[in-house]
Amino acid sequence: MKMQALGALVNVELKKLIRHPVNLFMNLLFPALLTVVFMFTFSDPELGMSINSVVPGLVVYAVIFLIMTVAQSFSSERKLLRRLNTTPMTSTEFIGSQIISNMIIAMVQVVIVLFLAYLLGFRPESSFEGIFLSLLVTAIFALSSVGLGLITATISKNPEMGVGFSFLFILPQMFFGTFMPLSSSTQEIAKFVPSHYLFDALKLIFEGNWMNTNFFLDLVVISIVSILVVLMGIVLFEKYGSR
Amino acid sequence: MSANIKSVLEGLNKKELFEIANQNKIIIPNSWSKLLIVELLALNVSADNIQRIKAKPSEPKIQFEGSSTIIIKDLVKKFEDVTAVDNLSLEIMEGELFSLLGPNGAGKTTTINILNGVMKPTKGTAIIAGFDVTKNLDEVKKIIGSCPQEAAVFKFLNARENIELFGKLHSVSKNELKERTDTLLELLGLTEVSKRKAGGYSGGMLRKLNLIIALISDPKIAFLDEPTVGMDARARRKTWEFIGSLKKENKTIILTTHYIEEAEALSDRVGIIDYGKLVELGTPKELMERYKAKNLEEVFLNITGRRILEGI
Repeated sequence: MKMQALGALVNVELKKLIRHPVNLFMNLLFPALLTVVFMFTFSDPELGMSINSVVPGLVVYAVIFLIMTVAQSFSSERKLLRRLNTTPMTSTEFIGSQIISNMIIAMVQVVIVLFLAYLLGFRPESSFEGIFLSLLVTAIFALSSVGLGLITATISKNPEMGVGFSFLFILPQMFFGTFMPLSSSTQEIAKFVPSHYLFDALKLIFEGNWMNTNFFLDLVVISIVSILVVLMGIVLFEKYGSR
Repeated sequence: MSANIKSVLEGLNKKELFEIANQNKIIIPNSWSKLLIVELLALNVSADNIQRIKAKPSEPKIQFEGSSTIIIKDLVKKFEDVTAVDNLSLEIMEGELFSLLGPNGAGKTTTINILNGVMKPTKGTAIIAGFDVTKNLDEVKKIIGSCPQEAAVFKFLNARENIELFGKLHSVSKNELKERTDTLLELLGLTEVSKRKAGGYSGGMLRKLNLIIALISDPKIAFLDEPTVGMDARARRKTWEFIGSLKKENKTIILTTHYIEEAEALSDRVGIIDYGKLVELGTPKELMERYKAKNLEEVFLNITGRRILEGI
């Protein structure tokens, strides 16, 4: 892997985040907006939800919406991907740049959500190490969003379809894997939703209760699922998506 | 019209019959059976016309001096039931500016896309500077530059950023990259707008940027797929001059274009493809002499006229 090429591609992805209005909104402004709205709406003690349970869900929301931006980006840039394919760039460099840039974006999202939540009264029990750990766990989970984004791009013929199909993966994770109240049967479904484990891990971190087996299991599931999903996304997109 | 001509026509294959029809400006739908074509031609052509076609080899013989840098061997590309490239064989010399001409859908872009690694051939292969595109594509990519038919640039980056990205992907050193970027921007008249985002460029400016990106790595071989389409006449002339100047650097250039005068002015040799097959090959002068034509456009229309008249 050539670091010069990898660095150049990561640089382009981060410029895309800042300069592309849709990406800027979806990746940075949308999580900020969600944080403000949800903090006011759901953190009311009368609803039986604590701020500490809402904030992990907001981080999850921010990261799962990466699926949409990855899918849209890949399905709208097929011509460019074909051109990049005529250069000595390897697929490892290209996918590596997508993974690194989306991990960076995910970490920035965590910082935005936590900063705004703090301003609105969120006080996590965890120390600075815990905050750092939340960045790390979220960055690992971002891999699954890149993978699901690639799978979405593979089945989408154009960016509009990419946005539409991305909700196939976003909605279940939003409703089954965060702070939405679940019945006993839907709680079983939640166990098959990756975001459930990120939500649980972040909740444990923010409660200052992460030095235990539950957190370790969450971390293992997040890591294995994210790596498998991103590998599946890479294989499917390389085989069928870049045509 | 005699039974003799009819019997000669019956001895030809369908492709040869279409060639006779082309030369005599007779329009024949593709769906016609051989029997019907023979009947129509027997009423409309003379023995001389048939003799000329029969004397011409169905695949042009290629005469070369020096070393070939691109060797295309029995290349086939099929998309479901459509054969886009049909047993194409061709050699292109080092330092040659070779134009690939043909009507829309003739297989030019598909051929280029196989040579630059965007597509895999269904059958056959191509050797580029000694590397097989089906086996050593990574090596091929190091020595080629590719200018796609549609401008493929990052719209949120400015010209300089776009060029530098592709330069870095080709591992061009920092100093060389800056020097070449400045030179190419200047040569194609984009220096003043080089810090403006490409999303705000006109079609002609995007085309120029598309071309610069293909050449930033100083490639030995450049594939330029209709590089001047959409440019105004002045910009087109300037770009032709620029492409012509690349010959002095001993670059091998494969150009596809719909501007026949462009091919006539720039090319060392021209290959005309139709239905994915190479139907003519030679220097512009040779082709004009062969078809007794005033210019290359006449040659082109003579060969591919049937399809154009049919509006395919």
